[in-house]
Amino acid sequence: MTTQPALRSKPRSADSSRPGLALPSTRSGSGFPGRGPGTAIGEGPAEDGRIDTYYDQPALKASFWGWKVSTYMVIGGIAGSAQIIATAADLAGAPQHRAIVRNGRYLALAGAAIGAPLLIADLHTPQRFYNMLRIFRPTSPMSIGTYVLLGFGGLSAMLAAAQLRRDLSANYAPGHTAPRFVQLPAAALGAAMSTYTGALLAATSTPLWAAAPRLLPALFGASAMASAAAALSLTARGLGGEPLGRIEAMASAVELCLLTALRRRLRQEGVRTSFAAAPLWLTAAAPVLREAAKALDVTGNTAAMNGAVTARRSALFGTASAVAVLAGAFLLRHAILRSGNRSAEQPRDYFRLARPR
Amino acid sequence: MTVHPRALDYPAAFLSAPIRDEAELTAGTRIQPGRRYGFFTDTTLCIGCKACEVACKEWNLLPADDLGLRGTSYDNTGDLGATTWRHVHFIEHIADRDGVRATEMPPFQSHWLMMSDVCKHCSPAPCLEACPTGAIFRTEFDTVVVQQDICNGCGYCVPACPFGVVDVSLEDGKAHKCTLCYDRLKGGFEPACAKACPTDSIRFGELDELHELARRRLASLHEQEVAAAYLYGTPDAPPDMPGHADGLRELNAFFLLTAPPETYNLPRAPTRPAERTGPGLAAGLATVAALTAAVVALFAAGRSG
Repeated sequence: MTTQPALRSKPRSADSSRPGLALPSTRSGSGFPGRGPGTAIGEGPAEDGRIDTYYDQPALKASFWGWKVSTYMVIGGIAGSAQIIATAADLAGAPQHRAIVRNGRYLALAGAAIGAPLLIADLHTPQRFYNMLRIFRPTSPMSIGTYVLLGFGGLSAMLAAAQLRRDLSANYAPGHTAPRFVQLPAAALGAAMSTYTGALLAATSTPLWAAAPRLLPALFGASAMASAAAALSLTARGLGGEPLGRIEAMASAVELCLLTALRRRLRQEGVRTSFAAAPLWLTAAAPVLREAAKALDVTGNTAAMNGAVTARRSALFGTASAVAVLAGAFLLRHAILRSGNRSAEQPRDYFRLARPR
Repeated sequence: MTVHPRALDYPAAFLSAPIRDEAELTAGTRIQPGRRYGFFTDTTLCIGCKACEVACKEWNLLPADDLGLRGTSYDNTGDLGATTWRHVHFIEHIADRDGVRATEMPPFQSHWLMMSDVCKHCSPAPCLEACPTGAIFRTEFDTVVVQQDICNGCGYCVPACPFGVVDVSLEDGKAHKCTLCYDRLKGGFEPACAKACPTDSIRFGELDELHELARRRLASLHEQEVAAAYLYGTPDAPPDMPGHADGLRELNAFFLLTAPPETYNLPRAPTRPAERTGPGLAAGLATVAALTAAVVALFAAGRSG
């Protein structure tokens, strides 16, 4: 029997530049049972940090999801968070927030009503969509999401119907629009709607989604809240004022932090496929800057400014930043989905992530 | 070679009916529901004949793949997919160290690594844990199968699989993968690929027996100074690789390899995607709850002001 000089020599040098063709690393100190020192193979990436791949063939399959799914992720999030905002406004009970309550109810139902057909259209055998309701699988965020969407859609329809009855009645009775035992579960399911899509992506093997299983759903949740406030402020003139603008700015600030943390985490985990963050930064920064400017305006120039001009300008800024936030929400889901699919086809991204730890 | 005594019962060249419990003759195991079955693929015995790929396609009536040449190695199949459930990797180690061609070769697949890849039938199986319709289920033989009459083609199993095995066919809109010849097992037959394998690189059998077989084979290879050999996907695998308590506990189709897993396009320490479901949902809900609290506070402040 011949010995194996090739398997016992020093690690492969950095200049052997043909991926997948060179022999594996031979670092000593193996964790392998029954093996002497210096003979470990299958032990890890070569010491130069290169990883052997199989002729750069993808080691994973990318998802088939495209614009229908990313659009659902946006409008599902908007619907969920709109229901939360409407419920909070209704429970606060101030008469000036009645428009927010009404538009929030309708927006929530519209999101659920548009989202479900989008998801069904994305199935490869859409006529069997009802098989989603055959079982409940708690390990699968898609199964959880099916029931969240179902429950949220049902409760949102009830709340929208109650709102409609109220809107059509001649004498506008004071008090809450709907009983709390419908509102609160609807808001709770709205929270799940806002964020479960992030958990759905995280619970895959796709490197870019799996690398930050906590940050991704949190980011989607913050983006959902910001975009719901933005969408609501666009639904009626004069809605972009006090609470909505602040909600938008606050959620956007959280989104900015989470976006930064996500990019950092991806780098740490060795996922080099990334997404263009600059436009997302700009869209999320818009409402934060607007609120900051407003605060400065109020403290510095109240007396000097013409009231009407200030109001018009602030309404214009409000609309612009709301549009930016909505565009950012679409961009975020789309970028995460697309670059995730791309990362699945980068074997080195996957092998770096699937390292022992 | 010894002949199974039952084989003597069938002296004729042509048989009038299928042999009952044929797997007992071909694989030395009687297939019974409730027991755990799998594949042991010993890559040191693979000669790259692709008989497994052909046998799989023949039995499962799968169409041919793209017949083009890939130009990287003798592997022109590329990867597992909706219509390819066995795939033979060809890994050529042309350059040795520093670009100098070796003049001496270590034994057992030294400059050609060949490996017949297949669905690992993991337990727990990430595709099964992701499937929202229950189309993917664990059979009475402890294998993982997609029920074609239930799958609605949502495609969640595709990114969930840590080995890139499951694929959705755009022809029929359903997910497909190796069934470990579920239909053959029900009839008492050995899976087509294992039966066709001329070198017994692919062994089919009960998992306990396969584990024992693999352990003996590994010991014998180590005795023959093939120190690089190790198991992937059994409890005897090196720590951190699939086969250990956390993550993917066990692969019902496991492998004996002689190069790092990445060389065969296998991840070293794949995780179980369902482990991220709970933390993901919790982190998302916590964020939204915190924002909701702030929203409530803003509305309350508006009322008082």
